[in-house]
Amino acid sequence: MSRIVITGMGCISSLGHTCKDFSSKLMKGVSGIGPITLFDTTGFRVKVAAEVKDYDELRLFPEKQLSKLDRYAQFALIASREAVADAGLEFSGPLAERTAVVHGTGIGGQTTQELNYFKVYTQGMKRLHPFTVPKLIPSAGASWISMDLGITGPAFATTSACSSAGHAIGMSMLMLRSGIADVAVTGGSEALITYGTIKAWEGLRVMSNDTCRPFSLQRNGMVIGEGAGTIVLETLDHARARGAAIYGEVTGLGMSSDAHDMLQPLDKGAAAAMQAALSDAGLAPESIAYINAHGTGTPQNDPTETRAIRQVFGSHADKLVVSSTKSIHGHTLGAASALEAIATVLALNEQKAPPTANFQDPDPQCDLDYVPNTARPMPITHAMSNSFAFGGLNTVLVFSRCND
Amino acid sequence: MSESVSDAVLNILAKHTELDRDKVTPDTPLQLSGVDSLMMVEIIFDLEEHFDISIPDEMLGMQNQKLETAADVVLLVEELIQKQQTA
Repeated sequence: MSRIVITGMGCISSLGHTCKDFSSKLMKGVSGIGPITLFDTTGFRVKVAAEVKDYDELRLFPEKQLSKLDRYAQFALIASREAVADAGLEFSGPLAERTAVVHGTGIGGQTTQELNYFKVYTQGMKRLHPFTVPKLIPSAGASWISMDLGITGPAFATTSACSSAGHAIGMSMLMLRSGIADVAVTGGSEALITYGTIKAWEGLRVMSNDTCRPFSLQRNGMVIGEGAGTIVLETLDHARARGAAIYGEVTGLGMSSDAHDMLQPLDKGAAAAMQAALSDAGLAPESIAYINAHGTGTPQNDPTETRAIRQVFGSHADKLVVSSTKSIHGHTLGAASALEAIATVLALNEQKAPPTANFQDPDPQCDLDYVPNTARPMPITHAMSNSFAFGGLNTVLVFSRCND
Repeated sequence: MSESVSDAVLNILAKHTELDRDKVTPDTPLQLSGVDSLMMVEIIFDLEEHFDISIPDEMLGMQNQKLETAADVVLLVEELIQKQQTA
């Protein structure tokens, strides 16, 4: 079975338009959460989000392309172009055929969907733009990445709410291990800070109206973010043969489903995914030094995740360092597992655990070391990244240093 | 009326073909100006929106031999506007 390494990373988020911006703010705990500017929040209870800032689509893409390119697919392209350039890859001939694109999203072209349906439902518009359909489908991101970069191998989108990118990375790992592909451009993208969608999230009563404080006593919900993350995965042999710089190895994949509830998380399901990821990596629980938690900052998730970690790690749980970077980049849903995979790989490379920002007082129900507010330099050989989606769809990834 | 219809049609064609507006005349051949079937779909959408008309499906696409030049498009639009007014 092929070993798989990470050779490129790219992202766009509320922390900036590049991976470098992401990394510096992540480690300083500078949060991208702020007042919503993408629409008028008059009458909304929820008025904060982690928006991509200083973003002008007209400066980034030709006008003709924009008629077919939703904001979510724009983000997917920006992150993927950066990741592929970072990996130093260009696709043509056999390499193009041996490369896969798997890019997740929770919803897809939500801005397109919403604005267009608004026009037909309420404004008496008789017809919609002919490219409304190709613009809103949740596989548009995967198509645009393959078209833009000239990748002709297997390409598709995955969708599982907050685990969408986790499943995308997981499917990529399985394709590389099985020999279907040598390289995968994978991750996830989301852009759903829109009037109707935030209204819908408001109705769920899981949203904070000030900021995201995971694992803290004062936490009062999640904060939605937008953006995209892409990593380039390669078999170790392929990366070595071309002398690529290697960020680390992705050693473990764990997937499970709670089979329980559309909203309530279940500790057993989360624990099963963590356990599966450890067995897949062939690692004992004691090998893990750092966990990038799902840590949404909702009253329900954080104690449940804490219990699940205790079930899997036993007494080692008290030595583990756990943080939720959602406090910094928001909950980016379909992009979350990708941005957090990047955060975890950065932790391995910088030998530093990123902090849980906005942390105030500890909650007795959340009794682990959550790296409150300040990053912590520490030795990290193996790290885990958790994603536990609505509807109980769980993915856990294990990343390791690749020194040999 | 006719002149303004022509102007508006040529404006829409110029926008989509990315040709200079002065280069687009009634004699401009559509296919040679790079109008493919997808671009035609966008042009039709803009024409329908601008003139509040409905262009039937059979008028669409490259199989339609009637739409060879910009003038053909102007003629079609004028016909449909008239139909709309007498309906």
